[in-house]
Amino acid sequence: MDVLPRTPVGAAPASRLRALKRVLRNPLSAAGLVVVLVMLVAAAAAPVLAPYPPTLTDFDATLQPPSAAHWFGTDELGRDQLSRVLHGLRVSVTVGVLSVVLSLLVGVPLGLLAGFYRLLDPVISRLTDTLLAFPFLVIAVGLAAILGPSLTTATVALGIGGVPLIIRVARSETLRLRELDFVAAAVADGAGDLALLRRHILPNAVNALLVQATVSVPMAIIGEAILSFLGLGVRPPTPSLGIMIASAQPLFRDGPWLAVIPGVAIVVLTLALNLFGDGLRDAFDPRDSGR
Amino acid sequence: MNPLLSVRELTVRFGTEDGPVLATDRVSFDVATRELVALVGESGCGKSVTAMALTGLLPRNATVTGRAGFDGRDLLARSERALRAIRGRDIAYVFQEPMTSLNPVLTVGRQVGEVLRRHQRMRGAALRRRATELLELVGIPLPARRLREYPHQLSGGMRQRVMIAMAVACAPKLLVADEPTTALDVTVQAGILDVLRTLRTEIGTAVLLITHDLGVVADLADRVVVMYAGRVIEEADVDDLFARPGHPYTRGLLDAVPNPARHAEGGLREIPGRVPVLASSPDSCTFAERCGRVDGTCRTRAPQLAAGPAGHPVRCWHPLAAPAPAAAGGPA
Repeated sequence: MDVLPRTPVGAAPASRLRALKRVLRNPLSAAGLVVVLVMLVAAAAAPVLAPYPPTLTDFDATLQPPSAAHWFGTDELGRDQLSRVLHGLRVSVTVGVLSVVLSLLVGVPLGLLAGFYRLLDPVISRLTDTLLAFPFLVIAVGLAAILGPSLTTATVALGIGGVPLIIRVARSETLRLRELDFVAAAVADGAGDLALLRRHILPNAVNALLVQATVSVPMAIIGEAILSFLGLGVRPPTPSLGIMIASAQPLFRDGPWLAVIPGVAIVVLTLALNLFGDGLRDAFDPRDSGR
Repeated sequence: MNPLLSVRELTVRFGTEDGPVLATDRVSFDVATRELVALVGESGCGKSVTAMALTGLLPRNATVTGRAGFDGRDLLARSERALRAIRGRDIAYVFQEPMTSLNPVLTVGRQVGEVLRRHQRMRGAALRRRATELLELVGIPLPARRLREYPHQLSGGMRQRVMIAMAVACAPKLLVADEPTTALDVTVQAGILDVLRTLRTEIGTAVLLITHDLGVVADLADRVVVMYAGRVIEEADVDDLFARPGHPYTRGLLDAVPNPARHAEGGLREIPGRVPVLASSPDSCTFAERCGRVDGTCRTRAPQLAAGPAGHPVRCWHPLAAPAPAAAGGPA
């Protein structure tokens, strides 16, 4: 005997694949995903793809506009701009992803606890509000002052800056899920708090967290660019998109491409990530599952 | 012999924004080993609350008093930790909503396996074998395949079978089935009831069946406890209750069961009015406002549960006397 599948209550892993298919049916988010993947591959393969080492100077070819030899031109020290953008992308993506991973590692447990234990909720939620009240730049400047500006500083600062949003998503998902029948049924089966959180609440909160993460990554990438631009993040000569824009500033009249190209790279990457994130959110939304 | 479960004076109060609500009022009943006791009454009479109170499953705003002897110890006096070990192992529950009672992101096998892992420390191949056996026991075809599927791939009836499989995974001494067939089609219901019947013989578990469906009661139960507005109003063996109901409310419930033979005389008889929501235990019969046999005594003094004309306990000042012929009885 065979039974007809019914509409799922939440999204099972099998339906995560279906959600991805639905993302791809939306042309904007499909384009977003393609662009993101291309840029990720380009960033990962930067050492192979880059025609020159990113820090190789050539004083016979400074401030060259885009040409066949240097597609994106060269900077004031004759460094190949294409190679630097590729390596800069690598730094940006690394910082963006690592900082969001850090936010998740800190934020998810706190959010689950806040949503699950009424006594902890006010404590964690007020801490979250406090953290939100500080502009993340202030936190970043403070951290940079303590740790000294570096890639790690930027990652940690952005990671901490992203924690409150993750806590909020994890907390609200927990509040929603803990009232559902299957959680009550698990309690009646003798499940302890840890089992409830780990096996029943967290797996069902993954979709919402995934969506938040895809939106948080571009925020962190822009954040890294800002920090590096201000000299609080990655230090030269390591190429980062933010640093490239910062150092291109005084040269804007002689070599506008030096600022424009890394700027465009940031815009394209974050826009693509956001489009993909939006599509993912719609695809997971049970209200218009379009089934 | 001591009964398996012996509930005494179980009173549950909820603190709500509109003041306290008395959900159950000194409820007492027993369930013997292997016995199937039906707890009957309309929505809101306190049946589910009684069952949930046994293992501390009520929300925080509930206060529970009384005793619930189980296996020689009072459940209500035990710690949350102890109750957690009892839930799912000694006392297991099957709820009304099979469509939402399974975790949508875990396979059936994971969920059945979780209970075995938790209470029996089973692992690996033994766990898979036992999970397959359990699905087979509750009548799920192709059990090995079903274990790999997600809940949304199963129908409501199949999901309820999975819920029952999880509930009996540890061969509990008492299975609480809270309206297990209410959300299902009639044809599927019959299958689930068959499963419950099979389980009693195969596992030897006692069942506390909570229902408002007297058809199900007649089909399955050994004994019936009728509740009304938080109080037990009648208790009898199933045949006795159906043949000689003592309480006008029980009579009304029986008359409200669809019966083609009676359709000729004007169809279903309903009980007028609704169950009162009580803040405290009143000095009157809680059924007085809806009863055809009401008089002054009913409104001023609460009746006690006492042996009625048919020999079994009835909480009524004016219990129905003889086996009334189907056409004549009932609140006139």
